Amino acid sequence: MSRYLTKRILGMFVVIFLVLSIAFVLVRLAPGDPASLMLGPDATPQEVDDLRARLGLDRPILVQYLTFLANAVQGDLGTSLFFNQPVTQVLAGRAEPSILLALFSLVVALVIATPIGIWAAYRRGTPGDQMSVTTAMLAASVPSFLTGLIFQRYLATDLGWFPVSGYGGPDASFATRLEHLVLPSITLGITNSALILRFTRASMLDILGEDYVRTARAKGMSERRVVLRHALKNAGIPIITVVGLTFALLVSGAVVTERVFNLPGMGNLAVGAVLRRDYPVVQGTLIVVAAIYVLVNLATDLLYLVVDKRVKY
Amino acid sequence: MSGLASPAPGFARQLTARPLVTVGLAVFVAIVAACFLLPALGVTEIGGMSVRSRLSPPGSEGYPFGADAFGRDLLARLLVAGRASLGIGLGVAVLSSALGIVIGLVAGFFRRLDTPLSRLIDAMMAFPDILLALSLVAIFGGSVGNVVLALSIVYTPRIARIVRASTLVIREMPYVEAARALGTRTPAIMLTHVLRNIVSPILVQATFIFAYAMLAEAGLSFLGVGVDPATPTWGIMVNEGRQYIDNAFFLILFPGLAIVFSVLSLQIVGDGLRDALDPRLAKET
Amino acid sequence: MIHRSSFRLTVAACALLAGPLSAATIDVAIIGEPDTFDPMVSTKDVVSIVTQHFVETLYTFDDSWSVVPLLASDMPEISEDGLTYVIPLREGVTFHDGSSMDSADVKASLDRWLEVASRGKGIADKVETVEATGPSEITITLKEPYAPLLSLLAFSNSAAAVYPEEIIAPQIDKVVGTGPYKLEAHEPDRYTQLVRFDGYTQPTGAAERAQIPDEIRFVPVPDPNTRVEGLLSGQFAYADGLSTEAYDRIAQSDAAEPVLLEPFGWPIFAINHKKGLMTDLKVRQAVQAALPFDDMMFAAFGDDKFFQTDGAMYPEGWAWHTEDGTDLYNQNDQEKAKALLQEAGYDGSPLRILTSRQYEFHYQMAEVAKMALEMAGFTVEMDVVDWATLAQNRDNPDLWDIYITHSPFLPEPALTSSFFPTAREGWNNPEKNEILDRFTSESDPEKRKAVFAELQKIIYADVGLIKVGNFNALQGKAAGLEGVTPSPWPAFWNAKLPE
Repeated sequence: MSRYLTKRILGMFVVIFLVLSIAFVLVRLAPGDPASLMLGPDATPQEVDDLRARLGLDRPILVQYLTFLANAVQGDLGTSLFFNQPVTQVLAGRAEPSILLALFSLVVALVIATPIGIWAAYRRGTPGDQMSVTTAMLAASVPSFLTGLIFQRYLATDLGWFPVSGYGGPDASFATRLEHLVLPSITLGITNSALILRFTRASMLDILGEDYVRTARAKGMSERRVVLRHALKNAGIPIITVVGLTFALLVSGAVVTERVFNLPGMGNLAVGAVLRRDYPVVQGTLIVVAAIYVLVNLATDLLYLVVDKRVKY
Repeated sequence: MSGLASPAPGFARQLTARPLVTVGLAVFVAIVAACFLLPALGVTEIGGMSVRSRLSPPGSEGYPFGADAFGRDLLARLLVAGRASLGIGLGVAVLSSALGIVIGLVAGFFRRLDTPLSRLIDAMMAFPDILLALSLVAIFGGSVGNVVLALSIVYTPRIARIVRASTLVIREMPYVEAARALGTRTPAIMLTHVLRNIVSPILVQATFIFAYAMLAEAGLSFLGVGVDPATPTWGIMVNEGRQYIDNAFFLILFPGLAIVFSVLSLQIVGDGLRDALDPRLAKET
Repeated sequence: MIHRSSFRLTVAACALLAGPLSAATIDVAIIGEPDTFDPMVSTKDVVSIVTQHFVETLYTFDDSWSVVPLLASDMPEISEDGLTYVIPLREGVTFHDGSSMDSADVKASLDRWLEVASRGKGIADKVETVEATGPSEITITLKEPYAPLLSLLAFSNSAAAVYPEEIIAPQIDKVVGTGPYKLEAHEPDRYTQLVRFDGYTQPTGAAERAQIPDEIRFVPVPDPNTRVEGLLSGQFAYADGLSTEAYDRIAQSDAAEPVLLEPFGWPIFAINHKKGLMTDLKVRQAVQAALPFDDMMFAAFGDDKFFQTDGAMYPEGWAWHTEDGTDLYNQNDQEKAKALLQEAGYDGSPLRILTSRQYEFHYQMAEVAKMALEMAGFTVEMDVVDWATLAQNRDNPDLWDIYITHSPFLPEPALTSSFFPTAREGWNNPEKNEILDRFTSESDPEKRKAVFAELQKIIYADVGLIKVGNFNALQGKAAGLEGVTPSPWPAFWNAKLPE
């Protein structure tokens, strides 16, 4: 186990190193000189050169790369061209809405999808099964910005049940901020429930096919009781898997959702940064989000170990 | 290993065993046919602008689906845009499959390259798809080719993972050993076997990638970094329609439905393929 | 089922949380995040809108666009030869940091303005000295008469803002002003919070800044649809930059009212005079002849409630209004254009139109223009990019022949930089330059009008730039909101929500 752990964590460092490298290369490929971008069109060539020197852009690319790596390891992701603040500081300010949105939409998706998925598996092959699966696919087929716009228009503006956009003003309490997250979470949760539903259904089908369930069934226990007693006991692994799987989807889905609801999260930040050519922020967001993903993956794998153990003994 | 079954002769029958899958397949084929055949048959001519007829509602004289803000026939535009949207989806599905197969095979065949390539795949998977595509398109510009390339890069790791996994399994299979003993050159035999066995999972995955790529294109257009509007896509049309949501809802409705129906039918077909190609699941349902 | 229960919960939560909108706070939806709070270095409207509340200039404009004193105590004493401006300063004006304003602060600020502000730099070569000639008196000496000086000093865009001498630096990170509100907090992409400044003293010339709201919050909402939804739901008391397509929806709502700025400004096809196709007068004339301005305006704005097809640089009602030269406007004659192209020996090389969809009407006008230009025989290449790319590319004359922009009607024609040869368009016609020189050095308003008519005439004859028409802009306010004068740069110090 500890050997596996070591290997796994080493692998994670390699992946993070690659993530950093890819992000570095990406941003270097961008057209336009960061120094002249920072200074704007009115800058003199002298000013541009000075800034290039200050930013280290005049040094060989390898030196730049090593410096970038060294800085990144120390938690320095550069300075935002637009906000004139360290990228890490800008990102830190955007973490709360993004993380909460991911969590809540996961909850929404689980709440919608798990019972329907179990029910569909239990009623496999019936029209009800097909309909629930198709409905979930339909929800996943609507571009999420359209779902969001429709919700925003009818549930927020016309009915006034939720705030339309944003994350509250300067005096916004935690409750107010949560209130701003309700509609985005529902939007994102619905879009992503299809995957969870299908996964739940497939896992349930597996379980229903297991020998002990067949045996129990053969012994005359009602199917419902079998499902409840045996199957749900083993639900740990599927749930962990699905959380790990969905997380990536949530993060990227959140980019669009945050934009629709004007939530000041990391996705919205990244889009704004791309449109403003604020490359350090683009790079920083890519790195941080990818690192979170890698960590969640690691956590998922470690949880498997823990759960597996419990299952075995 | 159930995944080893290659497409059986009864495949088509199995695929269409579920009426829903038949419907999905029919819808998708109909959409493709409309986009590619109707304009060629001259059913709708790409009308020029007629600014005075802007936002004419569906059913107006000469505008069966209504007119956009320039007085252009929405139906003609939908069909033209459909070619771009479907083309992007197909392009991404094909390109990411091709790249994924190559990377996956190399990783599976050459043990020394396996670890670095796998870590690379992991690293690529770590970037959220929209965010990566967004950065790539912003950096390289919004031509159709660049959007296809960006999204292909995003989806390649999914295919690569599948290919690598089955390559690793197959190289240990007894019949590969046997073939080797019979003197067949290893790479040749393995390639044949591996390719034959990954066709099914890749076909399923590629169908889903086709669907996701169309959604992702719409998302990129919404975020303001999609395809250059000289080539309209359904995603662009939905976004153009947003500002007319009060006065001409049909401008969002029709391209929106086009996206939804294409993506939904592709997903249903993908599901059907999976069931037809994976006997284990087929047995269960 | 699951839906309903989670739903009921949130409705209950909303009922608990949504307090009544405090009348003392005005929330304003703006189109984007201001990239700086230093209005000297920015020409963006969104920067002007926000910063005018906490940074002030010596002069400002009143409702009829006349220059009136703000930090100055009176209009300047101008010498006979028009070269010396003696400006008296108001006494007892306090900066937000507690220090009081004197002539040293004003001198340091104006020196910086001449150095870093694009509009300041534009006239720096005309300015001999800026001197503090008394504790409350500043004297500007010019090398040649320059009539638009006061308008420049009054403009909130690339503003001649007054800062304490102590903070003057090439780049100012923490702006300190004298305005009726002060900057309290700024959470990027969430809000900019301004609170009432208690040490404020009222101007003697400009209208009272009554400081009615306790707080003004500017919320960046980049999506126009979201701004409309926010306004209608009561989230915002005011919203800037709305699509005219939303007019009816806002008008029908009980929660909000449309605010139509009529006419707001003019879309412009800016012409590359430095390089390429458009340096040939015949080609420029061909473009001018081919364009169908009414179709372009109609496609972009949809209803003549929102635009006028008008060739005059200033619409009727403005002092600068004249019809001189406008017979060349809206010819919509592709045959004539074809003939002109033939004369020019046009070889079919592409006419590159650079535009973006940041403003959908830019793109729409370009699409219609493209059709007409192609009918006239042009090969047209549309380069539709995002705004950041456009802002970068338009500074490179190798990349475009026409780019599309717009401007509000500015109180003083000399504020329109496109008229000047130093602008990125580089319109350097000697005859026009001579007219422009006469225009800026003439101080008699009546004579200036006559010179402006000459300028307008040559704009058409030489196709210096192409005015597409007049368009109205739509803003929106909460029902019953009072005290906000419709303007391209609305101010909220007198804003009052109904009880």
